[in-house]
Amino acid sequence: MTQSDIREELRGDRSEPLLPIEKKLIGWSLTIGLVLLVALAIFNHFAPATF
Amino acid sequence: MSDATINQIHPRRADGVIAPISEDWLAVVLGLFIFVLALAALANVDLIGWVVTTAVWGNLGQALKATSKGYASLGGLGALIATYAALTVVLGAAAAAAKGDVKRFVLAFTAVFWIAYASWVVGNFAHFAAVTPAEQQKFGINWSLKLTGEGGLIFALIAGLIIANFFPRFAEAIKEAVRPELYIKIAIVILGGFIAVTAAGKLNLASSLVLRGVAAIVEAYLIYWAVVYFVARKWFGFSREWAAPLASGISICGVAASIATGSAIRARPVVPVLVSSLVVIFAVFEVLILPFLAQIFLSHEPLVAGAWIGLAVKTDGAAVAAGGITESLILAKNAAEGINYQPGWILGTAATIKVFIDVFIGIWAFVLGYIWTNHINVTQKQDKAKLREIWQRFPKFIIGFVITFAVGLYLALGTPAEIAKNVPAAIGEANTFRVIFFILTFFSIGVLSNFRTLWQEGFGKLAAVYLVSLFGFVVWVGLLISWIFFGGITPPLAS
Repeated sequence: MTQSDIREELRGDRSEPLLPIEKKLIGWSLTIGLVLLVALAIFNHFAPATF
Repeated sequence: MSDATINQIHPRRADGVIAPISEDWLAVVLGLFIFVLALAALANVDLIGWVVTTAVWGNLGQALKATSKGYASLGGLGALIATYAALTVVLGAAAAAAKGDVKRFVLAFTAVFWIAYASWVVGNFAHFAAVTPAEQQKFGINWSLKLTGEGGLIFALIAGLIIANFFPRFAEAIKEAVRPELYIKIAIVILGGFIAVTAAGKLNLASSLVLRGVAAIVEAYLIYWAVVYFVARKWFGFSREWAAPLASGISICGVAASIATGSAIRARPVVPVLVSSLVVIFAVFEVLILPFLAQIFLSHEPLVAGAWIGLAVKTDGAAVAAGGITESLILAKNAAEGINYQPGWILGTAATIKVFIDVFIGIWAFVLGYIWTNHINVTQKQDKAKLREIWQRFPKFIIGFVITFAVGLYLALGTPAEIAKNVPAAIGEANTFRVIFFILTFFSIGVLSNFRTLWQEGFGKLAAVYLVSLFGFVVWVGLLISWIFFGGITPPLAS
């Protein structure tokens, strides 16, 4: 692949719609991440670091 | 895209010979070698006390000295030459083991070492490095940039950037020894012992920090990756093949993550390689900006600052070394206010975060590989993601880190008092080498950062995703996560 091919590919606007599995991946990652964030923050609040 | 970066990613010589030992395992061997030599001091045999160390200086003649008093007779220049000679022999042997061109490596390393170390020495000049009024008085000066001695790393980075952008032929000539990932991995292996000695005094706090580090990283993976992938796909219209390595590179751990992801989703090799070069460039900006922002805004939350640097700065080299600069800047600011924190905790937090991020790369790459090969680009059975890929992608240098950490902790806590009391000094000698590998890392990152070449390759759109994601999201979410898990925890005070 030449330099100009890459440039054209990067500049190009090939539409590749999000597949349902990608939406699931994004959705589940964010949901689990945010739920865990809240849960861990609560845990952290009640079990602070000790010296 | 520089060839050096490509070579760094693919352990392959120009003639196509595949290196028989990976960079990770080389780092383990070299790091453990230095660590073991340092531990000989516990048996009253000082094998590496000649390694050179640099102090903040007003008079150049007083800048350098050997680490151990037992080698004081060498003088500063003698210690520097001894350090150069030893590193050349050891790293030259490593180049031979990796079937590299040893002669070219030695010549290139000579230039890399002397330019990088000279930059470090310049950065330790009192007008740049002195922090407190007492220090300024000591050197008879009335102003200084207050960059601390670690600011010398910035000078090494700038020296590398100048070479990359104004002397590209010279950069090409020394590329054999421009190995930021190798240098930082050796440094991280050595760092394990140093962190152990630091943690030994406050084991409860250390274990709390490790648990928080793991929690923070899970968060970073789940939240960062999903958002950056969405931004790349939906807002910037990138294909899946570009968006996945880009999301991993921006959100997780730069070079290693984008390559692992590219490989997991069966992307063309050029995709993760180009993303990696972008990561290196942006890491330079982060190193130049974030530690100083941390000093200004987070000096009273030192561990938040360490975790934030570990989460926000991509690439192992830049993140861990930026942790070192951040620690130095924050400790200096607090010292000026009369608060003297024990060194090692901020750097230790940044390094711990980074190490855990590296551990998770293999798992995340497997998850992506599974989804891609089973649901997106459904492939033949033999080409589907396999569990053993987790091990294949596991960054092996972390094994070295764990070994030095465990040995250091045992020596500090599990040995008789007369041995344990000598452990900090022994590991301190190894730590001097760690600083030198940091210097080499910073210089090498600079040499790999040819901005003009990147621009010519039409990286505008990739850079735009990076810019929007990093400064619009990753940096702030990293700060929030760091604050949630590390807020209110301060390092122990120095005794």
